[in-house]
Amino acid sequence: MPLPGLVALDTPRLALLLLAVEPRLRGIAFAGPAGSGKSALLHGLAALLPDLPFEMLPLGSDEEALLGGLDLEATLARGARVVRHGLLARADGGLLAAEDCNLLPEGTVNLLLGALDAGEVRIEREGLSLRSPCRLRLVATFDPAEGPPRAHLLDRIGLIVPLPRLAPAGARGEIVRRHLSPAADLWEEDLAVLRDVVAVARASLGDIRLSEPQARELTRAAVALGVQGHRADLFAQLAARASAALALRDAVQREDLELAVRLVLVPRATQQPTAPPTEPPPATETPPQSSEDSPPDPPTEPPADGDVELTEEVLAALAIDLPDVLATLPFRSARGGRSGSRGSTDGTRGRHVTSVPGTPREGRLDVIATLRAAARWQRLRPQGVRRVVVRGEDIRIKRFRDKAGALFVFAVDASGSMALNRMRQAKGAVHALLERAYVNRDRVALMSFRGQGAELLLPPTGSVELLRRAVDQIPTGGGTPLAATLVAALEVAQQARRRGLHNVVLVLLTDARANVGLKADRAGVEEELRQLALLTAASGLKALVIDTQRSYLSQGSAQKLATWLGGQYLYLPGASGATIAAAAQSAA
Amino acid sequence: MMTEPSLATTIPFPFTAIVGQEDLKLAILLAVVDPSIGGVLVTGHRGTAKSTAVRALAQLLPPMQAVAGCPYHCDPEAPAAACPHCARGGARRPERLPVPVVDLPLGATEDRVVGSVDLERALVDGVQAFAPGLLASAHRGFLYIDEVNLLEDHLVDVLLDVAASGVNVVEREGLSIRHPARFVLVGSGNPEEGDLRPQLLDRFGLHARIRTLQDIDQRVEIVRRRLAFETDAAALAKRFARAQTKLRTQLTTAIAHRPSVVLSDEALQLAATLCDRLGIDGHRGELALSRAAVALAAFEQAPAATRDHVARVSPLALAHRLRKDPLEPAADDERVRRMLAEALA
Repeated sequence: MPLPGLVALDTPRLALLLLAVEPRLRGIAFAGPAGSGKSALLHGLAALLPDLPFEMLPLGSDEEALLGGLDLEATLARGARVVRHGLLARADGGLLAAEDCNLLPEGTVNLLLGALDAGEVRIEREGLSLRSPCRLRLVATFDPAEGPPRAHLLDRIGLIVPLPRLAPAGARGEIVRRHLSPAADLWEEDLAVLRDVVAVARASLGDIRLSEPQARELTRAAVALGVQGHRADLFAQLAARASAALALRDAVQREDLELAVRLVLVPRATQQPTAPPTEPPPATETPPQSSEDSPPDPPTEPPADGDVELTEEVLAALAIDLPDVLATLPFRSARGGRSGSRGSTDGTRGRHVTSVPGTPREGRLDVIATLRAAARWQRLRPQGVRRVVVRGEDIRIKRFRDKAGALFVFAVDASGSMALNRMRQAKGAVHALLERAYVNRDRVALMSFRGQGAELLLPPTGSVELLRRAVDQIPTGGGTPLAATLVAALEVAQQARRRGLHNVVLVLLTDARANVGLKADRAGVEEELRQLALLTAASGLKALVIDTQRSYLSQGSAQKLATWLGGQYLYLPGASGATIAAAAQSAA
Repeated sequence: MMTEPSLATTIPFPFTAIVGQEDLKLAILLAVVDPSIGGVLVTGHRGTAKSTAVRALAQLLPPMQAVAGCPYHCDPEAPAAACPHCARGGARRPERLPVPVVDLPLGATEDRVVGSVDLERALVDGVQAFAPGLLASAHRGFLYIDEVNLLEDHLVDVLLDVAASGVNVVEREGLSIRHPARFVLVGSGNPEEGDLRPQLLDRFGLHARIRTLQDIDQRVEIVRRRLAFETDAAALAKRFARAQTKLRTQLTTAIAHRPSVVLSDEALQLAATLCDRLGIDGHRGELALSRAAVALAAFEQAPAATRDHVARVSPLALAHRLRKDPLEPAADDERVRRMLAEALA
């Protein structure tokens, strides 16, 4: 469906137009579930800008596909390296579409970051040393249900647009009608009009005025929303100008500012809007010298007039307006952060580490290494038609690192009086595991449960930094919802599997006296838990039940749970974090 | 080495046009004054001028004298012992070269980092020649790794090896080469994406942690300069040309002045007390702290490094050496500042 024909997607469409007008916005990300129109929007932009290069970034693309590499045929024919350009270089000056950008391998994302930041791709690999220009606009989509994309990636593109989960009832019929409509060229005329609007807006962009108070207002909003870094300030100004240009105005108005806040700043918020500081924070250290060309002091301006002021109320209204999906964006809080999963389980998608002699059937050919091996003997080998003679013994096969770490999910019982003790032990264990995480590429997650459910305190991470920030004080007391905990752990495990972490170990610190069921009433709690535990075991999750305070009341519930889970039971009263960590590691 | 026609020489964002982030700028300047401080690590929020500052470094460095034709650009006065080129003897004609600032991109493979067989020459002339890698290019200069915490393990191994010895040993594809590779390691990254390997962390002399600026005026100025840079980089460079020249001169003077700066006893005492009270293992902490204090004194044209100089560089030199304690809520640099206040009281 062409862009003008999309129903109930006015804001996303407007966002695309902003990007079409202002390439310096760098890109756009659409967050929405399947069937919310993500692909239609993505292809809609391509149709809007038909003269630009347009490349799709397939999920499985490896570094070679992105960066290019050696043109084997031409290289062998000429006896000198011939470079074949990759996706990024081909998309220079145009659009790169990345569907499911949250599922892209880390290596791929890293390359994208460089391209978005520097406007060029630098390659230092396999004997090549290249820089190629890569000024592209990224059009990305993702389904938040499958986990957030890397915050780094979102940080480098201007616009982040959540899509509504459901179109309004009235719009549904219209969507179906338009899809069934046979006339594909029905929208051609509207599209042509849109193209003209974009062209006019582009041309006028340089003349759009954005006043100093307006610029300050945008930055003030960024501070109030706790936006990290300074890129968003720039994007917000660019978006506001582009919005004014599209409306054929020559100066930015309040609605342009609001749109910029909504599309650029609010999605990056890390906090509910607070009053921004009125006083600059006290200077810490005096710099050794002022190396700055003293810029003209910002004019002492009158307080922003009512026309531009984005009060806390306005910000709050914009923030409340957010669809739920935003809660899953990685900016939301330290808890939402995600560390790069560096491992990969299949030997073909990991990083190319080294190359060994072999036959092409055994793996992927390393052309450069093969040629290097062959080069040494060229003088001794009779040359026929071919410039370079390669023999079987020269063949080198790529070896990839296929080491993927384990994910340890710690679930801590926060009901009962010993809850704080258990939490301390768990944090110690998590810390001990993270200290060694870089060796095994391990990840650790931490959740607590009490009352009605489980809360994920620390999503899978390899970072000690994030652990430090994970809540220090957790509420304790209440019932013991073990069933809900197993369900939550299964969810975490499932997300991890999508990222290639298949070895998941659940470490339960509890006395296992479950008394809150999911659906079951008090009498049915145990049977429900048994069913769920068997299901958990069947899903391949490994389990470890750690009883830190066996009492006569427990009646062996923890042992029973461990049996159902097909896991290990350990009685470790007052165990140190290191002991628990070692037990977890041996279970992996 | 074959390279594609590179992009038109792009003008980097001027160092002196970076707003705020004084810790970051100070750390980089100190590493220029005394490369033996041992490298700079910059961590912090996304989009806070980390890489901009490092990439702006090249313009500040006074040019160096190098042996003409030496692939490792050795110092004509004192060529590296491990240099295969200069070891051959013969006349060493000096030439002026810019100090190298080499970028090591994340996707780099080992052969390009350590160097490997020159494929063209091997295929065309049948000669086993060595094509030096990024480590060779960085000798006597700076090696910059953005997102250093995401660097592949096997490359970290290589870096640790070379950083310790100052010599790159290549044994591969029938080559056997040793060449000098002494450089200042500069890394940047966001700790939320993953931790840095402790051994590598320990290699960095200074660690600047930077945060998002909260001051509205500063932030508006950042956007203004960024837009000015994107619109007309040359014009912005011109606007800051005087400040750049001034800073370059100051650095040149400081480099010459540094050997004559003395470290006062009271300063040394304070450095030792801090490391002791913070429970820092080993002596790298005191060394980095003392060197940084001397470099700061040199930068400010002071005859001696005092307690004040030590105090000002201690968060940079010590915060990353504290033992990690998950139950300690205060950030590491806060702990250093707290201890500093106690020690000075």
